[in-house]
Amino acid sequence: MEKNIIEVRHLSKSFGSHEVLKDIDFSVDKGDVISIIGASGSGKSTLLRCVNLLETPSSGEILYHGKNVAGKGVNAPEYRSHVGMVFQSFNLFNNMTVLENCMVGQIKVLKKSKEEAREAALYYLQKVGMAPYINARPRQISGGQKQRVAIARALAMDPEVLLFDEPTSALDPEMVGEVLQVMQQLAQEGMTMLVVTHEMAFARDVSSRVVYMNQGVICEQGTPEEIFGNPQKQETKDFLARFRNS
Amino acid sequence: MDKLAKLITDIGKLWENYSGAYFTGIENTLILAVAATLAGCLIGLLCGVLNTIPYTQNDHPAKRFFLKLLRALIRIYVEVFRGTPMVLQAVFIFYGLPYFTDGAIAFKGMAGIWTAALLVVSINTGAYMAESVRGGIISIDPGQTEGAKAIGMTHVQTMVNVIMPQALRNIIPQIGNNFIINIKDTSVMFVIGFVEFFATHRNIVGVNLLYFPSAVIEMVGYLTLTLLASFGLRWLERKLDGDDNYELVSEDSLAMSAGTYSHPNRNSPFDEQSKEFRNHKKGGR
Repeated sequence: MEKNIIEVRHLSKSFGSHEVLKDIDFSVDKGDVISIIGASGSGKSTLLRCVNLLETPSSGEILYHGKNVAGKGVNAPEYRSHVGMVFQSFNLFNNMTVLENCMVGQIKVLKKSKEEAREAALYYLQKVGMAPYINARPRQISGGQKQRVAIARALAMDPEVLLFDEPTSALDPEMVGEVLQVMQQLAQEGMTMLVVTHEMAFARDVSSRVVYMNQGVICEQGTPEEIFGNPQKQETKDFLARFRNS
Repeated sequence: MDKLAKLITDIGKLWENYSGAYFTGIENTLILAVAATLAGCLIGLLCGVLNTIPYTQNDHPAKRFFLKLLRALIRIYVEVFRGTPMVLQAVFIFYGLPYFTDGAIAFKGMAGIWTAALLVVSINTGAYMAESVRGGIISIDPGQTEGAKAIGMTHVQTMVNVIMPQALRNIIPQIGNNFIINIKDTSVMFVIGFVEFFATHRNIVGVNLLYFPSAVIEMVGYLTLTLLASFGLRWLERKLDGDDNYELVSEDSLAMSAGTYSHPNRNSPFDEQSKEFRNHKKGGR
């Protein structure tokens, strides 16, 4: 299995004087499903956004196949086309139908023909169960459906890694299941995934590694069994206890 | 009553003799307003795209300097052309440019007048549109940009495919405003000898002094033009918003996923199409 597709080294990020990420180190191997958990404001989302260069890191390196993409003169759009992202607020293009949402990136960025793009888009929409809705517009479908389309849109770019930024946090409870199910299926198929989530059951049952973040640093990481069964640090224990009680 | 009757006969007289001239005036006004509004929109869109090119600390200093300079230049353009009367801009371009360039740039004959008029009104509209487009871009959820960036689109691709179509829809009322303003305000182009609808009126009343009857024709003419423009733009808006309905592609094997369901209890008292339900509703009221 390919090691270190993405390697984050000494990553720091500040917004003004507020240091959100402090000297983060971690790496992603092919096939990894990494869940990043932690309290709100612990820097989980910022970390994910830095990995996709939606935020510019203040210092440190992000190596993609050994090449630093956080430095000067990097073709960020080219890099992003290999790293898919699914957002909390879906961010489907409102001026396009479901099908067009999944085609536009393939046509404009990957320079595929319309027919090829349509075929791939239909394949992935079918996978997430949204094929019947190809003519609908984002405003006409539910949150869970939007998120599944967003996943199909990311998949259609054939990314090497898929980042999920709290994909179920904006959903009504009854829609969370359908999105998690799709994600679980992807994980089983060997997709490399980096998931920021508050769904502890997902982190425990689906991921291969769990990263617990606290106040801008990686407090503890390990297999789900280690983190959920036998957490070493007091902060991790407190955090998990709060979830169990609620 | 006499006055009203006289007014109507005078209008009739004017119309008999000069209807052709009035129509030519309307034609010129419309061509200038449409062309200049379109050109102004293009200038505005261009300014909008250039104005929003992002730069980060990781970019080369030369690139950052160039982008800052670009933004400053656009700002100056907007402030100058939005902040001075169009009639003076026309004077400076039509008479000023040939004078200061010793005739290297000159506007000669009818073609020259048309070129100058188009140039002035376009540049003026562009200055207003640049701000409207900026507003339109700001009004779009930043998530749209992030979604586009996340699948690897460049700034221009994001703008052209995602942001501008949505921003443009939002600023159509503003474009309409500018178009209607242009229909009326192109009348100041008389200073450079451009004969549009209002200049026609000045020429005609200069000959026969039927000032008020001609002004009535002008009023009705301008109002007709602007009303037509309003209706046309409303129609365009509705068309762009598209249909509220969509077709399910139901032959798909996964069509029975979440969100689609058929009514479980057809013909039961709770089915809206059943007699019981209708009676129940009637009884309830």
